[in-house]
Amino acid sequence: MVSPARVASSIVDSENRNGGGGVDSRFVHLRSVQWRINLRILPSEASASIDELRRVTADARRRYAGLRRRILVDPPKGENISPDVVIDDPLSQNPDSAWGRFFRNAELEKVVDQDLSRLYPENGSYFQAPACQGMLRRILLLWCLTHPEYGYRQGMHELLAPLLYVLHVDVQRLSQVRKIHEDHFTDKFDDIFFAESNLSLKGKTGNVDENSSHENEIKVHSLNELEPEIQTIVLLSDAYGAEGELGILLSDRFLEHDAYSMFDALMCGGNGGAVAMIDYYSPSPASGSHTGLPPVIEASSALYHLLSVTDSSLHSHLIELEVEPQYFALRWLRVLFGREFSLEDLLKVWDEIFVSDNDKLTSATEDDVGTGLDILHSSRGAFIAAIAVTMLLHLRSSLLATETATSCLQRLLNFPEDIDVEKLIKKAKTLQTLALETSVHSSPPPLLNHAFDKSKSAAVRGHSLSTGSVSPRTPLNLARESYWEEKWRVLHKAEELRQGSTSSTAGKKGFSEKIRRSLIRAESVPSPTEIKSAKRESRVPVRRSLLEDLSRQLGSEEDIEVSAPKDPSSVEIKVEGEQGLLENKVERSFLMDNIVSEDSSIFSARSSLSGDNDLENDSEKSCAGSSSSVVENEDLENEEEQSEDPLPVSYPTGSSTQNLEIGDTAHKQVVGLKERKPPSGKFPWFWKFGRNASEVTFEKGSNMEASRSSSVSNNQNNVPGLPITDACSISYRDMSEKNVMGSLKNLGQTMLEIFRPDLVVAGQIATKRENSVIESVFQQDRGQVGENLSKNILVEKGQVTAVAALKELRKISNLLSEM
Amino acid sequence: MVLVLALGDLHIPHRASDLPAKFKSMLVPGKIQHIICTGNLCNKEVHDYLKSLCPDMHITRGEYDEDARYPETKTLTIGQFKLGLCHGHQVIPWGDLDSLAMLQRQLDVDILVTGHTHQFKAYKHEGGVVINPGSATGAFSSITYDVNPSFVLMDIDALRVVVYVYELIDGEVKVDKIDFKKAATSHSSH
Repeated sequence: MVSPARVASSIVDSENRNGGGGVDSRFVHLRSVQWRINLRILPSEASASIDELRRVTADARRRYAGLRRRILVDPPKGENISPDVVIDDPLSQNPDSAWGRFFRNAELEKVVDQDLSRLYPENGSYFQAPACQGMLRRILLLWCLTHPEYGYRQGMHELLAPLLYVLHVDVQRLSQVRKIHEDHFTDKFDDIFFAESNLSLKGKTGNVDENSSHENEIKVHSLNELEPEIQTIVLLSDAYGAEGELGILLSDRFLEHDAYSMFDALMCGGNGGAVAMIDYYSPSPASGSHTGLPPVIEASSALYHLLSVTDSSLHSHLIELEVEPQYFALRWLRVLFGREFSLEDLLKVWDEIFVSDNDKLTSATEDDVGTGLDILHSSRGAFIAAIAVTMLLHLRSSLLATETATSCLQRLLNFPEDIDVEKLIKKAKTLQTLALETSVHSSPPPLLNHAFDKSKSAAVRGHSLSTGSVSPRTPLNLARESYWEEKWRVLHKAEELRQGSTSSTAGKKGFSEKIRRSLIRAESVPSPTEIKSAKRESRVPVRRSLLEDLSRQLGSEEDIEVSAPKDPSSVEIKVEGEQGLLENKVERSFLMDNIVSEDSSIFSARSSLSGDNDLENDSEKSCAGSSSSVVENEDLENEEEQSEDPLPVSYPTGSSTQNLEIGDTAHKQVVGLKERKPPSGKFPWFWKFGRNASEVTFEKGSNMEASRSSSVSNNQNNVPGLPITDACSISYRDMSEKNVMGSLKNLGQTMLEIFRPDLVVAGQIATKRENSVIESVFQQDRGQVGENLSKNILVEKGQVTAVAALKELRKISNLLSEM
Repeated sequence: MVLVLALGDLHIPHRASDLPAKFKSMLVPGKIQHIICTGNLCNKEVHDYLKSLCPDMHITRGEYDEDARYPETKTLTIGQFKLGLCHGHQVIPWGDLDSLAMLQRQLDVDILVTGHTHQFKAYKHEGGVVINPGSATGAFSSITYDVNPSFVLMDIDALRVVVYVYELIDGEVKVDKIDFKKAATSHSSH
């Protein structure tokens, strides 16, 4: 009697063979199995039988079990130590000692635990369960101990978590199927229901055989009649198939083993794969690299290269702002977008990534290898790059709208949650083919030739800044005009494209509505330090088009607020000014710490810039401007110092090293711009006013605080600047109308006072009062913002205030144009 | 896996200025879970230094200790073992095993740690263990010739304790290891 397993598997196999030997589509519904096939853990030929799969799985599991036994062992008790052997004592400073290893493992475990405790806290049910945490910990420890040259880096836990989750989901599916189709999971082997029949083996076996085999035949038929999906599940989990229990592909017992093999394959690229995540964690250049840069930097520049091919205006805009790709791409690549999407979306993205083949493309010529486009040399890598570029394009309009690097980064690092992943993936697929072509035909990106070398980077940046400001204003003016026009066009297009698909606002109320909607899609969670970061503005604003844009954005900013959920990923970067978020601070500083150790100090500057927690009102000198880059750089330093205060215990060394590094680069920039401070001071301030006033910030208090603290160190500059813009922008979000009006009037007054510095002080005091009022309201405000209800309220009230604010701004702009 | 450091009779600042450098380099914070100190430190500075190695510190009074608040004897439980601590100048004759055994029975402990003689000793006696960690600084003693600096590290693990003895002999740190099992059928001692 043929066993049902064999019968069914042959049927399944024949189906597959008929369908062509290329893609194995048996397991598309079982993610864990599909991923294991794609990661090359399981044989990927469509002709691989269930038995083969089981055997391979069992082997992998045995390997893991052996590994675990070997490595996670307690320090030796030394029962049989011969007198010749040096005694291994706990205080031994011998690096080979088992005790030394024990203590080092304990250290590693502490580091891993810190990360694990912060893993997906919002999906707390699964990942924070102790069983799951234990498994994750063991897997990470084992992997790091088997790969001592890499150690543990923050982010590895995020790569591992979805893998484990996927396995878990499949096991749950299995138990579901088990419940429904109980009869197929009974303990039947050798086709005889021994458990169910009382008959002994000897007597009347003939009849029993006939009956049971008859039943079995029925069962076999019904097995085949089941959907292929259920069939495969049954076969994969048959306890009596090949390798017995060890071969059950979807097994609760061996989650850890399977997750480990998946993680290992992902990190090391599978068997000879091109994309190995581990590369993105190593700080040293890859062996074949011509550029001598760490692989993640190379991959980031490859991203930019692809972007330049697909959308050169966005690319040049980002280059202009000096948003270096690794600022955001580091996180994107290292965690394979794990922090940008929600878990469900992420699984879909990863489905596609893993489906793409990981072989190194042979079409890559000798010249291309090692030029930094390595990521594009495989289908999978090309897809990853394509996804990244698609994400950039998704944020295109908002990125083009920003004029500061920090705000760009804020948008990039707080990727919106309410996105249509399917569309993103489809678009990425089209880009993938483009990427693959690019890798073959184009020359290495020019970016790699400068500004990545750390020793030169600061100088180069300073140089480029100064040249930018020294050169006559007109070229920039022209660039500006076209930029704004283009933005307008983009907005229109975006609006047409996205009209039916957004959810938050209902009805078409006209122009501002349309723009609002498109900007919802475009805008990510608002950047926290819009106002505070008066960065590097050496470009002359084109007032009129600016004001147009301003009015547009005013109409939309409330919705920006709407689209600002408590983004879990943003928690990492945005630090909220509330009490119970110490752990976020720690996480941020930890991130900063790690990044410092990874030699990307600029990135850490970014992350730390994005939030300060003190809400004190030392607004004595609050109005000193910080418009020039001089001030801005001191901002940076002060921000750093500020951020140190709440974290004195945990990571003082981390942030202080950042301070030093930022200070270095800051000073270099300072040198290039000092002489230009007075005249440029006013214009950028004004321009910034326009920008900042319309942009929404989430942590107003922190921004104000930061700007005040920055002003503490500055002399009273000619520009009253920032806190006024703070007040202005805060007021736009404010619930009370009169505050809006009051502060706007204030604003108008103080703007007149720009050119009459003696009255600056008076204006300051006035704004100080305003600010304190606003802040108190804002604090309450913030407490509610997390809820959806309040968002709606804000939208409504925001619309009302927006109109009023718009009027006020028009007035002010008229005033200014008179001057 | 509980590591317990036992030391005493440092006599800082009267008879010695500091722990030997080699000992100091071995004693780093973070590895040791408990410190038991037989007494005669004698300073507050030494007390603070030992506290920095491990926050859980137990100490009994030696006759030269400047802090009079330390108790005469102390008992604590670590894992399955009961430890007793006493300086030892109270038990006469000094260093006599039977008298120490009497004290052990009195305190009802499995491991008795005493000092005062400035000489390392480890006995298995009547189902219990008597340990003398000696003097960690090698301070002068009127009852012992040629004092070598020594201290003891105990690794307590359920029913088994491994005693590592660190002695500074001729400028080199020598480690020795002794195994004790509690109330088990086999008494395995080195």
